Amino acid sequence: MRQLTLFNPSTFPVTAFVLPFLLFLCSCTTTEIDEFRQSSTSINNADETIVILGRRQNNNYETEQSFVGCVADVVSRGDNSITVVDEQEFLDAMFPFFEPRTAPMRTGHLEQLMSMDVAAERLDEFGIEYIVWLDGITERSEQSGSISCTIGPGGGGCFGFGTWQDDSNFEAEIWHLDSQSSVGSISTDANGQSYMPAVVIPIPLIARVEANACNGLGNQLKQFINGT
Amino acid sequence: MIQLITGKVSQVPKIGKLTAIKYSLASIIVLLTACSATTINIEGSFPAPLVQKLPLTVGVYYDEAFINHSFIEINDNTGDDQYIINSGASQLELFNTMLPAVFEQVVQLDSLESASSMSDIDAVFVPAIEEFQVGLPQKTRLNVYEIWVKYNMRLAQSNGDYIADWVMTAYGKSPEETFQSVDAGVNDAANVALRDLAASFTLGFSNIPEINEWLRSQNVMQE
Repeated sequence: MRQLTLFNPSTFPVTAFVLPFLLFLCSCTTTEIDEFRQSSTSINNADETIVILGRRQNNNYETEQSFVGCVADVVSRGDNSITVVDEQEFLDAMFPFFEPRTAPMRTGHLEQLMSMDVAAERLDEFGIEYIVWLDGITERSEQSGSISCTIGPGGGGCFGFGTWQDDSNFEAEIWHLDSQSSVGSISTDANGQSYMPAVVIPIPLIARVEANACNGLGNQLKQFINGT
Repeated sequence: MIQLITGKVSQVPKIGKLTAIKYSLASIIVLLTACSATTINIEGSFPAPLVQKLPLTVGVYYDEAFINHSFIEINDNTGDDQYIINSGASQLELFNTMLPAVFEQVVQLDSLESASSMSDIDAVFVPAIEEFQVGLPQKTRLNVYEIWVKYNMRLAQSNGDYIADWVMTAYGKSPEETFQSVDAGVNDAANVALRDLAASFTLGFSNIPEINEWLRSQNVMQE
């Protein structure tokens, strides 16, 4: 009878070194967060809310709705969570004042907006205390390598190796509605290297750059607004 | 019946003529469908603008070209129709949402001549689409779908006397997403463009010089 062993010397190098190395590569994302505070902040979670909006005035890019939604999720969950008004719900309710063509670009424009009774009343209905503007993009660079896939009567598979770098740069500017002023900003810069070796099947080892940027920015924003 | 060396007997199944015709017709239909242009019907809903209404009764006339507006995108390589974009229905939806929010009362006219017989109408508004352009990622090499529309807006008194005639443009873009169809990308960009038009019309209407002058003559001004 063949003895079953848990330790197989022939596959030990793969399991002991290659797999952890691959897992280590997956986690290679660096995230840097900077905060600039101009005045103190606080929020009464019982009846005050914030809204997080994406900047979409730039010709070359626009802040993705998915990233804005991600940051809103992080801020509205966990300890010291803050109530966040849904971006699209806010844009529709405040239409046409926050469209790409008409959105206030500076805090000075808030005064004009608040001078309109209909707009001021609607903002009051939402209980908005802070408006957070997110501006940024995730870009891919340093793509190299290639993967070829083939299929034939005997079977198919992919062979090759691909790698690329993702860089997420986002900035959040926080406006306080009552004082119609900017109270600070938070910037995040995350980058990471992704790999895709293909040995019969592609093995994606993706660096979660944008997710890390979202989590970092969201948590920092939550702390900032709570004044902690 | 043929007896092979292996001793087995084989018979080739016969396909009937009717079955062969059916398969041929199905293949022809599939090929023709693949070669025809894709029709994209723009659909969307638009929020009512949050502005104070002007105390005016305005008649609006939509001509056939506006109601049935259609744009054809040509394939640069073959010269054939590639996409047919029908935006008339969504244009109507937009104006029928926007105008009642800007003016106290809006009356849809069957013809321009019918306005002269309606004494309670303060003005007649006629929108028209002069130009429509589409930017597709596969052609522009950008990662966005883009729509640009040029409108000619006309405002006249109920007796036909000229008040104002001005041009407005609307622009919308939508990022290209993985596994997103061309229909969805074009539709999203069109909806952004239509919202853009509504925003600039709503906030800019009273500031058009001829209209501003006319509103003052009517003792009507938007705050």
